[in-house]
Amino acid sequence: MRRRLGPGFWIAACWILLVLAGALLADLLPIARYDETLAGPPRSGPSADHPFGTDGLGRDVFSRVVHGSRVSLGVGIGAVLLGLAIGGPLGILAGYRRRATDAIIMAFNDVALAFPSLVFALAVVAFAGASLRNVLIVLGVLGVPAWTRLIRGATLSFADREFVLAARVLGVRDSRILWREIMPNVAVPAASYAFIGMAVVVVAEGSLAFLGLSVQAPTPTWGGLINEGRTLMDDAPHVVLAPSLVMFLTVLSFNLVGDRLRALTDVRHSGLEPVRQAPPAAPAAPVHAVGDSLLQVEDLRTHFVTERGLVKAVDGVSFTLERGRTLAIVGESGSGKSMLIRSILGLLPGSGVDRSGNVYLDGDDLTRRTPEEMRHILGPRLGTVFQDPMTALNPVRTIGAQLAEPLRVHLGMNRKQAREEAARLLAQVGIPDPGRMLGRYPHQLSGGMRQRVTIAMALSCGPDVLFADEPTTALDVTIQDQVLRLLHRLREERHMAVVLVSHDLAVVREWADEVIVMYAGKVVERGPTAEIFGRTRMPYTEALLQAAPRLTDPAHHRLRVIPGRPPDLVDLPSGCAFQPRCAHARDRCVTEAPELLEDGHLYACWYPTGSPISEGAESRGR
Amino acid sequence: MILLHRLVRLLVVLLVVTFLSYALLGLLPGDPTTQILGLSATEEARAQLRQELGLDQPLLVRYADWLGGLVTGDFGTSYINQVPVAQELAERLPVTLELLVAAQIVALGLAVPVGVAAARRAGGTLDQVLTAMSFALLSTPVFVLGVLLILVFAVTWQVLPATGWTPISVDLGWNITSVLLPAITLGAGQLAVYARLLRTDLIATLQEDYITLARARGLSPRRILWRHALRPSTISLITAVGLNLGALIGGTVIIETLFGLPGIGRLIVDSIFSRDYLTVQGGVVLISVGYVLVNFVVDLVYAAVDPRIRHA
Repeated sequence: MRRRLGPGFWIAACWILLVLAGALLADLLPIARYDETLAGPPRSGPSADHPFGTDGLGRDVFSRVVHGSRVSLGVGIGAVLLGLAIGGPLGILAGYRRRATDAIIMAFNDVALAFPSLVFALAVVAFAGASLRNVLIVLGVLGVPAWTRLIRGATLSFADREFVLAARVLGVRDSRILWREIMPNVAVPAASYAFIGMAVVVVAEGSLAFLGLSVQAPTPTWGGLINEGRTLMDDAPHVVLAPSLVMFLTVLSFNLVGDRLRALTDVRHSGLEPVRQAPPAAPAAPVHAVGDSLLQVEDLRTHFVTERGLVKAVDGVSFTLERGRTLAIVGESGSGKSMLIRSILGLLPGSGVDRSGNVYLDGDDLTRRTPEEMRHILGPRLGTVFQDPMTALNPVRTIGAQLAEPLRVHLGMNRKQAREEAARLLAQVGIPDPGRMLGRYPHQLSGGMRQRVTIAMALSCGPDVLFADEPTTALDVTIQDQVLRLLHRLREERHMAVVLVSHDLAVVREWADEVIVMYAGKVVERGPTAEIFGRTRMPYTEALLQAAPRLTDPAHHRLRVIPGRPPDLVDLPSGCAFQPRCAHARDRCVTEAPELLEDGHLYACWYPTGSPISEGAESRGR
Repeated sequence: MILLHRLVRLLVVLLVVTFLSYALLGLLPGDPTTQILGLSATEEARAQLRQELGLDQPLLVRYADWLGGLVTGDFGTSYINQVPVAQELAERLPVTLELLVAAQIVALGLAVPVGVAAARRAGGTLDQVLTAMSFALLSTPVFVLGVLLILVFAVTWQVLPATGWTPISVDLGWNITSVLLPAITLGAGQLAVYARLLRTDLIATLQEDYITLARARGLSPRRILWRHALRPSTISLITAVGLNLGALIGGTVIIETLFGLPGIGRLIVDSIFSRDYLTVQGGVVLISVGYVLVNFVVDLVYAAVDPRIRHA
């Protein structure tokens, strides 16, 4: 993935080059000497002759700032190289050797970090003599712990990667692994930190100079110039402002360059709310009449704009669901099951998402609701349970606080009522001693207990539809059955509808009334459970069924798998998305995508299994 | 058990820190006797003084002696003005402490709302503006910011004093005015660090399942941010508050000099210029020990924030 450095990076880089050129060519530039007094009238403001004005002695401030950059940049570059020269090898050693070497180096590092470094630098420079060399050495050595830490971290993160482990297994010499595999990868973070370290050192040198403990007069330094200028602030503020501005811009540029380099290796972007609300899709003429079903989803599409291209995570899904029934959504990982749920609920992540289609709840189109209006529907009318109970509960809040919250927000209960109701809900999902449970934290509960809590939470406001996204996948088998029984019982008691996402076909067969099979974001087969399992038409569904291990299988029976890999959603195969993996595929499957056909139930296949065309025909290229 | 382990570790670190600050400063060139007796003193007089001060002893013996004093609160007596170092430090400590606390209040008080606002719509206009501002703030050396603030508030508008210190015991109002500019100057850089950290951690937390589920329960973004996401996102922030104390204390040296505050930082700078070794050592040790202790406490604070650590 290519990422751009952005214009800020190049502007900053140009400024650094400019300052560097000024420092190198200071003596050749046609400007007044930095120590020439009365080069102009004292304390005069900026003019053509003196672009930064003159100081109290009539010296040219511009010239003094340019000459001052020599000390700042010289110390900056020198100290960073010194820090790298010592800290780099130490970091690599600690990160690569680990164990005792690592422990010793890092223990020293921790102690070194405990020193107030600036105070220390002050004392050392003061006692050892304020010369360029001493300042450089002190600041360089003080940078060693940070360098060690950084290089160690980078080395550690690569020393575990497959290519390094592979090289180790192959018996490649350590030094060779370090040079060939680790060094190139550590180089980017090191280059990035070199610039940030430069900023740190320039500020530190400035601080010493400001206190009068860097290179001594008459050599000008930025910190020293700012300190001198302080006394003239009343009537000649430019004397202090000019070096301040130059110093600020230089430090900013170093930080910016370092930050942009670091961002090259760092990918993360998102937020709680979309950056820009996508405009509501043009009201497509409802193809299907809106029935009086509890939940009706019509041609729902959810597309993501990614750097690689458009991902059609959900691509034209329709179904209806009545009270008291369970709809199962099955498919491989990445087939769009979970995204379908999130899309129905309007819980899509941040930016770059495009949702179209309609979701009717009792005839009311949820896709037209504002986020505020949706908040009164999520919870009271639509409940949600997620796959992993370990991550579904907030680790720092008590069960009681989390369970009572929607009750107070949606049902307007007071603290006491909410607590009592929460305890009642916990009892309902079969948690013993609910009163005590309210004060517990999630990590104190077992996985099964946590999933019961999340179910209680989803049910707290009495929803009409419960969405359960793989509610038992993360639990062990005995608990799975208990949780599914619980869901079934609650569905009956509360007369709800349940949408159950699962890849476990045994579960689906036992608990669902209807089934939707998804592949690459599309529905490929849909119908009553008995139909789907009894008269499977789509070869993908058949493959899924065959891939599921059965208790009746003989021992040491070879596990059947679906050949090939799930499709790349950015670059779907032409025609039917399943055709590259399908044993029955023919030319038509490659050129033309099948629509959902009705024959007992819905399926999308040109040559469905169990039909004479499919059975008799020769399959393509196999 | 864990506490005991940490206490042992704490003692070891303290021992190393005190020794290094004693040894490094002791090994530097420069002779206290010159400072006391002047350049013209005879060699015998110097030798006699060294003996009186115990400077003829080996380094380790001197360190042990000095450390023994430290434990009982005796930091030695300044060679220069004959005042006990402990007394001098104690007089100035409240000023530095107040400055540090005020700076942290400024930094944290602003960083939390700024970080939350930026994370709420990551990549949005507000986020970009706040990120750019904190970046600029991060790149402003503390003395540059201080000079600018003095220029604006003390010289141009004349609403706050440029220098000087009024203790709380004298006048609370004046105390606050005198600590305001220094605290803002010192806190600004931390504000930027904290806001960026909190923003990054919040964005990560907002990807968690329990946040999506909180949205699925129809809770408002405001409630989710403040009640659900903020606390699990503060671990890095708390670490930074401890670790950055070193930078902050370094900053007090500059700030106290710039604003003329009679604190520890100023004392160290003055003592450095007057070659008052014992006072410098005392100051450095006080700061290092304070830093180590604060980070020890920070470790304990984690437990308060995250129940998973509390019950571990």
